[in-house]
Amino acid sequence: MTEKERPVRDGEGEARAESRVWNLVAELTYRCPLRCPYCSNPVALRDFPETLAAADWARVFREAAALGAVHVGLTGGEPTTRRDLAEIVQSAAEAGLYTHLVTAGLPIDAAGLRALQAAGLRSVQVSVQDAEAAPSDAIAGTACFERKLAFAREVRGLGLPLTLNVVLHRRNLGRVRELIALARALDADRLELANTQYQGWALANRAALLPAREQLDAAAKIVAEERARAPRPELLFVLPDYFRDRPKPCMGGWARTHLVVTPDGRALPCHGAGELPLEFWNVHEKSLAECWRDAPGMNAFRGEGWMQEPCRSCPERARDFGGCRCQAFALAGDAAATDPACALSPRHALVSDAHGEPRSETWRYRAPA
Amino acid sequence: MSGSNAPLEARLRRILDERYHHRHPFNVRLHGGRCTKDEVRRWIRNRYYYQTRIPLKDGLILTKSEDREFRHGWIRRIYDHDGDDARAGGLELWLRLAEAAGLERAEVASLRNVLPGVKRACDAYVEFVASHDLLASVASSLTELSAGPFLGERAEAFRKHYGWIDEAGLAYFLSRTSQAPRDAAEGLAYVLAHAKTPADQERCTAALERKCEILWALLGGVEWGGRTPRLAPSALLRDEGAEAVVVLPERAVRISASGREILAACDGTRSVEAVAAALRARHPEGESVERDSYDFVERMEGLGVLRLEELGK
Repeated sequence: MTEKERPVRDGEGEARAESRVWNLVAELTYRCPLRCPYCSNPVALRDFPETLAAADWARVFREAAALGAVHVGLTGGEPTTRRDLAEIVQSAAEAGLYTHLVTAGLPIDAAGLRALQAAGLRSVQVSVQDAEAAPSDAIAGTACFERKLAFAREVRGLGLPLTLNVVLHRRNLGRVRELIALARALDADRLELANTQYQGWALANRAALLPAREQLDAAAKIVAEERARAPRPELLFVLPDYFRDRPKPCMGGWARTHLVVTPDGRALPCHGAGELPLEFWNVHEKSLAECWRDAPGMNAFRGEGWMQEPCRSCPERARDFGGCRCQAFALAGDAAATDPACALSPRHALVSDAHGEPRSETWRYRAPA
Repeated sequence: MSGSNAPLEARLRRILDERYHHRHPFNVRLHGGRCTKDEVRRWIRNRYYYQTRIPLKDGLILTKSEDREFRHGWIRRIYDHDGDDARAGGLELWLRLAEAAGLERAEVASLRNVLPGVKRACDAYVEFVASHDLLASVASSLTELSAGPFLGERAEAFRKHYGWIDEAGLAYFLSRTSQAPRDAAEGLAYVLAHAKTPADQERCTAALERKCEILWALLGGVEWGGRTPRLAPSALLRDEGAEAVVVLPERAVRISASGREILAACDGTRSVEAVAAALRARHPEGESVERDSYDFVERMEGLGVLRLEELGK
């Protein structure tokens, strides 16, 4: 028997040439009641109006399924700000996609959640910003913690699988134990302890967010202890690329398994790629298949032909794909450069020097959409 | 000798009292007559793998000693298990137990149905002895201290509760009730005489704790074979030709054509063992059908594709 069973998410073991949309990320809106200083929304929101109607999304879902997609993350911004969300969920389910809602837990309420479940919603990820109300609300920029918990309880109450997501940074890394306890109390299936990725808003706020290595080591130790203590929830904790000397295998490779469609209809290989000087196409104008296969931006970093040294001859290139193109562009000014997070990059100092930079106690909240 | 090392002996006995597998829920049920015929058979079939590891483990221990006297004493254990011209050894007696319980001798001896958790636990014991010195290895054998009385109790329990197993099949337990105390006394004397420093004593107690963990895990592996796998409620199964994809919250898992066949048998009506048997029925000539089935179920459980429920709970 063959050994083909493995998580697609990790993009491991796949032939490098394979390019199949496994996962569609449907960014339904950039609106969000939260203002987190590490928001992954584009920094210049005003340029991107929300133009895809529910009927457009229904077509995108059908076309994504035809490209091989099995899963859709309904995200944003805050997807539950859309009044037509149940309609959107239903069309995704009808297209055969596994429907996963990524939400802050507001403005949606219990009745709204029941409507989504009736429409075919299968699982939910709820974010919190910390293990307690005051620090969580301080990061979110609005009072919302208790409401998030109440919503998370509704999710489990309806029997839906729950992922709790927390973005980690220097101000909350010390509360990983409490976060795990919170996830247990909420009966979450998974807890994503997602270390901040320093792009977009997070890069602008790096001095306020970047932790010390000791904080990460302590958190990793707690995660290992808690994993050994109980099988639930599944704990995800990955050391961030700033602390690993090797880049992350971003998106499992450029335009290889993940496809993002933005609120204005652009088809991108990741949520940050719109900031790169590349030509991507729009589902208003082309089929999703054309946007995926033929857009110049999609093909810019597929495979290995684009790689420079040291990536080009590196034995690890099949595993990490040269790292993150957006980070290479943001830090090194060249999207085809080796990700500066890699210690082999001639520009690694752009990342390693950040550890010695002075930290800040204040941050700039994401500007409202 | 043991008088000077009484505190160590007390510690070792306390470890056994607290952690020996006589406390494991499966053993409690087995001795209490609450195991089904299938469960008793599964235990016999799987525990045979442990029996096959014992002579290997004792062979490793022999290689660690420079002392002729020690080797002379210890080598008897290998004959006890393997037998000699005059008498049947523990391995043969265990196969007779299997036959008396209605199992096929050849099937049990083939080891093809050994469950993965059982295999891991037994292999871990051999590995432990391979990677530790003589003192720790001997200390790890001291579970024999509890085995004597425990096996007497077991023979009684089998007579009382599992009368469908012929008395002749119980010869293994009866032979060990006399061998185990003798082996244990020798092993204990060695440990008490040689564990002189606090560090040595720590290594001995750690070795015995590890051995208790291994025996405990073995029974967990046996229980696992009786659980009922079914597709996790949150999973979405999509067929793609002969292959399939299982989609879970934030994860998708590709299933090969052969895996798809195993998955189809995981319908909530069969135990892990029965799933393997169903696959064997479909592939009578297959080389490693049972092991492939077990490995697949275990891997899918780890990925959250399958959920295993306990029968009757």
